[in-house]
Amino acid sequence: MGEIFGQLSGLLEHLGEKRIGVLSLFGTEIRFDVTAIVMSWVVIVLLVLLALWLRRGLRQPVEEKPSRVQAALDGLMDLLRTQLSGNFSSERLAVMMFPFVSTLFLYVLLSNWLGVVPYMMSPTQDLNVTFGLALLVLVLSHVLAIRFKGGRRYLKGYLKPYAFMLPINLVGEIAKPLSHAFRLFGNILAGTILVAVITAKFMPIIVPSALSIFFGLFFGGIQAFVFAILAVAYINVAVED
Amino acid sequence: MLQEAQTVASGITGADIAEAAKYVAAGLCMGIGAIGSAIGEGIAAAHALDGMARQPEMQGALLRTMVLGQAITETTGIYSLLIAIVLLFVI
Repeated sequence: MGEIFGQLSGLLEHLGEKRIGVLSLFGTEIRFDVTAIVMSWVVIVLLVLLALWLRRGLRQPVEEKPSRVQAALDGLMDLLRTQLSGNFSSERLAVMMFPFVSTLFLYVLLSNWLGVVPYMMSPTQDLNVTFGLALLVLVLSHVLAIRFKGGRRYLKGYLKPYAFMLPINLVGEIAKPLSHAFRLFGNILAGTILVAVITAKFMPIIVPSALSIFFGLFFGGIQAFVFAILAVAYINVAVED
Repeated sequence: MLQEAQTVASGITGADIAEAAKYVAAGLCMGIGAIGSAIGEGIAAAHALDGMARQPEMQGALLRTMVLGQAITETTGIYSLLIAIVLLFVI
C-alpha cells in the first residue's frame, strides 16, 4: 500500500521529490523515503527548541508578575490538560497518559504546519508516518488494556456482548488504526494536492497562498486535534469495560 | 462527412476509452462519496448548535464532541477520496 502512494507522490512533481533510500539489513532490503524522515527530524528539532524556550518560564519565582514565556507555557499546559487529557475516564489514566497524548498532538500539529513553509513537506502526507503513529496508539491501547484489566478480562472483552460477535470485534480492532491513519493522511494529502493543482493549472499567485493558509494552518490544526482526541478515545475504550 | 466521422471513430482505441473511464469514475467516486459524509457532518453540526443554543455553558464539551463525531463521519469521504486518487494517478 505504501508503494502505491509513493508512486503517486512521484507523479505529482509539485509535492516534492521522493528520494528513496535503501538499507540492507540482515539480507533484507528496507526501502524508505528520506524526505519524510528528514522532515520528521526537522519537526523533532523544532519541538525540542520549543521545549527549551518554554522551560525558561519555569524558573520564575512565584511572587513576581508572570513573564511572557510563563504565560505561554501556562496557556499551552491548560489547553492540553483540559481539552485533551480531560477526556480520559479516570484521573489516574489522565495523569499517566498526559505526556504521550500531548507529544502526539504537538508532533502532528507541527508536522501539518510544516507543509506551509516553502521547500518543506509535511511528514504526515506520507502514509508510512501516519500509519506508524496509528500503530503506536493501537499497541499502547492494548498493552494498557491488559495492564488495567488483566489478561483474562482483556480476552473476554472480545466475546462481548455475545461469543459469536468475535469476528466483528476483531475486524473492528483492525479497522481502528486503518481509519486513524488514513484520516490524517487523506486530509493533509488532499490539501496539498489541491494547492499544487491550483498553483500549476489555475492561478499561481495570491489564491494558492490563501488556500495553503486555510488547508495548512486551519485544517492542520483541526486534524492534529482530532488525531490526538481519537487516540484518547481509543485508549479509553480499550481500558474501560 | 460520414467517412470523416468513421476515421475519427476508428482512431479511438480501447486504451483511450479506459483512460476516459478513469476520469469519469474518479469524478463519480468523489461526487457520490462526498454526499454521505456531508449530510452526516451537517446533522452533527445542527444538533450541536441546538444544544449550544439551549445550554450555552456546555459549549466547550459540545464543540469537542461535535468535532470528534464529524471526524469519524468524515472517514467514508476520505476513503472515497483515496479511491479517486488511486484511480487518477496509480491505475
